[in-house]
Amino acid sequence: MPGIVFIHGGVPGITPYASGPHIWGSVLERFQDATAIEVAGMTVDAMTQQVRKLIESKGPCHLVGHDLGGVIALGLAIEAPQLVRAVSAVASVAAAPTGDGVGDFTFAHPPKPLWSRESQRWALERVSYSHHHIDDRLLDACVAAAAKQRPMTPQAYADEFVPSLAKAKARFYEVCRSEGIKVPCQVIWGSHDPLATLDHGLWLYRGIAQRQRATQFHVINRAGSLLFREEPAAFHQVVAAFSEGIRG
Amino acid sequence: MASTSPLPQGRWIDVDGIRTRYFEAGSGEPIVFIYGGNFGTGDSASSAYTWSKQIGPLSESFRAITFDKLGQGETDNPKNDDYTMAAVVRHAAAFIRAMKLPPVHLVGHSRGGYAATRLTLDNHDLVRSLTVVNSGTLMPGVGTNEVVLAKPPYPTGTREGVRWVYENYSFDPKVVTEEWVDAVMATLALPKYQESVRKMTVEKLGSKLFAPELAREKRETLQWIDEGRLQRPVQVIWGYDDRTAAVDYGIQLYRMLARHERRALFHVINQSGHFPFREHPERFNALMRRWVPACQE
Repeated sequence: MPGIVFIHGGVPGITPYASGPHIWGSVLERFQDATAIEVAGMTVDAMTQQVRKLIESKGPCHLVGHDLGGVIALGLAIEAPQLVRAVSAVASVAAAPTGDGVGDFTFAHPPKPLWSRESQRWALERVSYSHHHIDDRLLDACVAAAAKQRPMTPQAYADEFVPSLAKAKARFYEVCRSEGIKVPCQVIWGSHDPLATLDHGLWLYRGIAQRQRATQFHVINRAGSLLFREEPAAFHQVVAAFSEGIRG
Repeated sequence: MASTSPLPQGRWIDVDGIRTRYFEAGSGEPIVFIYGGNFGTGDSASSAYTWSKQIGPLSESFRAITFDKLGQGETDNPKNDDYTMAAVVRHAAAFIRAMKLPPVHLVGHSRGGYAATRLTLDNHDLVRSLTVVNSGTLMPGVGTNEVVLAKPPYPTGTREGVRWVYENYSFDPKVVTEEWVDAVMATLALPKYQESVRKMTVEKLGSKLFAPELAREKRETLQWIDEGRLQRPVQVIWGYDDRTAAVDYGIQLYRMLARHERRALFHVINQSGHFPFREHPERFNALMRRWVPACQE
């Protein structure tokens, strides 16, 4: 299996749990030649360029992006397909179309102080089907990440990040309907993701499937946004099968 | 059967008095494939050939088996005019018993997806896992075979007519090879198959017996799924562009199955019609290679 690069999601200072390379947990041990990278930047474009620098020396690799990481992976597949062998967009609510959606209250009232151990435990539970994957190792890593990360201010989020995400998504869907994403892509969704419906995942798949023959959609049962933590065996099974299937 | 068929040499086994043709290769965990269609259709005819892109490749890792269903391919027709899906399911279960197989990984496509599911519900001891592929027969909602395949613009039973049917099932008509058409024509030419056509059409067993019995049992089968009676790991694989069985109904079926089973996966394969395992065999087989060992854990 060629190199596989895991790109986490989350926006520091906004997402009520601190994501980072630690979020993937033990699932990384199931893959050979896996690298989990740390994303930084105030806009999607800055994040994408930073990830591009990190993967440029690796040769074409399979990018696995969670949520916002999925947007970055798909952006790189458009911008630099020579660096990308395949994309797995995982619970990528950030990439999915929204339309005039209804408000999501999953993170409406986090307990304070924000990004404390208990507040992050609350947030992680809120995005999960089950709380069983939330252990001390994860909480320690989230607390350490929150202490280290430079939080985005609400103003910077509204003025810079949100428009940059809208721009990245507009480019992505434009390419989907015109020349198409040039590398095989799969969308993987948790059956019980509280942040988005299964339909959101299916419409993300449909967007890519318009022009990319090797597109797949997968649902993993009894899992939320962190499906790779809740069902690591099934997650590995789906990603490995896709890698093997497109190689065939 | 075309001489270039990649299937291994066919074998025969007596299954409760029904001479049954089957194909097998490899060793290890048994996977049994059940194809779709039913006896007595004059413009198409499935046979074990349907799985020709699975048996060889998957036999490198597993004991891969497929067989001709009751009244289809070269297997004998039903006894006592029992042209029903229930008889098809009983025969399939009896085949697994006659082969003395340990619990199998059952894969069913289309009508075979229904048969595999009902077989599991009736015979849990025979089944280790279930894979359902583009099954308009099993899914809730409206199947659209009639919309897509009504009145082929060629005479019934001709090569052109057969090709037209399978091309309209497929996303890419080029997947319908001469070899595939040869396999269908070989089945259609069998006197015993023509007898089943006569039974289903001239004697009207299709409309008087097969269809109403299937409708009744389908209602029961979906109720049983809803009640959580399947009780085996299950995955649903769907060709996205199937015009006869829409992917949205595949999702509905998956939701029903997944409500009661943790190990429930749903997979959609792009640019594929009704036969994703023939249009994208590498990706279908990769899913199977990962599924079977996962069910052992």
